Amino acid sequence: MELHASYIQILALALFAIGIAVALTRRNVFFVLMGVELSLNAVNLSFIGFAKTLAFEASIAGQIVPLFTIAIAAAEACVGLAMIILIFRSQDSMDIDNYSNMKG
Amino acid sequence: MLALIYFIILGGIAVGSALCVLLSRHPLYGAISLVVTMVSLAGIYGLLGSPFIGVVQIMVYAGAIIMLLTFVIMVLNGARDSRTPMFDRVSLFVFPAILILAALLAFALLSSGISFDPSAAKVSVELTSKNLFNVNSDGPGYYLLFEGIGLLLLSAMVAAVLMAKKNLSSKNLENNEEEI
Repeated sequence: MELHASYIQILALALFAIGIAVALTRRNVFFVLMGVELSLNAVNLSFIGFAKTLAFEASIAGQIVPLFTIAIAAAEACVGLAMIILIFRSQDSMDIDNYSNMKG
Repeated sequence: MLALIYFIILGGIAVGSALCVLLSRHPLYGAISLVVTMVSLAGIYGLLGSPFIGVVQIMVYAGAIIMLLTFVIMVLNGARDSRTPMFDRVSLFVFPAILILAALLAFALLSSGISFDPSAAKVSVELTSKNLFNVNSDGPGYYLLFEGIGLLLLSAMVAAVLMAKKNLSSKNLENNEEEI
């Protein structure tokens, strides 16, 4: 029994499914953000797992792109949390069902 | 063999704490579980031979993003409905859809027959910097993306400050304590 390349992808798939489930089913807005972060992590893991199946020259790209993904995730979390603070100030609620009346 | 044992341990921790995020009641517990997931994923990156990405993962995700998330959760904790009901009726449709998606993708992955290439690059700091800042015209050109990421982070920071600050004028500094 050795570590097989598809085990990495199965783990990434499980984390991605859990992240999507968190983002779609939980009603607290923080859990929605956390689910998105979890899905982004799973995609990073999938990138690196696939990069390890390529030859030397081609495998470098798959291990540099996750660095950019992590930076994008940092920017997304920053803007998303600022939006939560802004919405919370007018709605006084963390339930995303109460956010459904944002019509300008 | 040893790599498989380490992978099973770290992957089990990652999936278990991800399930804790799904099932925890308060968002603070979810954030703590998310830190455990991030750290074990960083261990898996090191196991796969990308230690630099693992270190960046710990620094940015577990260090910065979750810290920011925890800070905002603690600041807004006085909400009257910080304990909303966990799941609503939509979950009855979402969970089977996600399970079907995962089963289909797992079938496709297991039948694809991918395998590790032993000549794959172990991306160290040296190799990363050599590729990331290769400014030759026939190079990969990641440095343009790098500059773009710098602009994106700057604009995200400015947007966050503009959105979260109540009034941008600095006249009434003594009222700052009332701001969230």
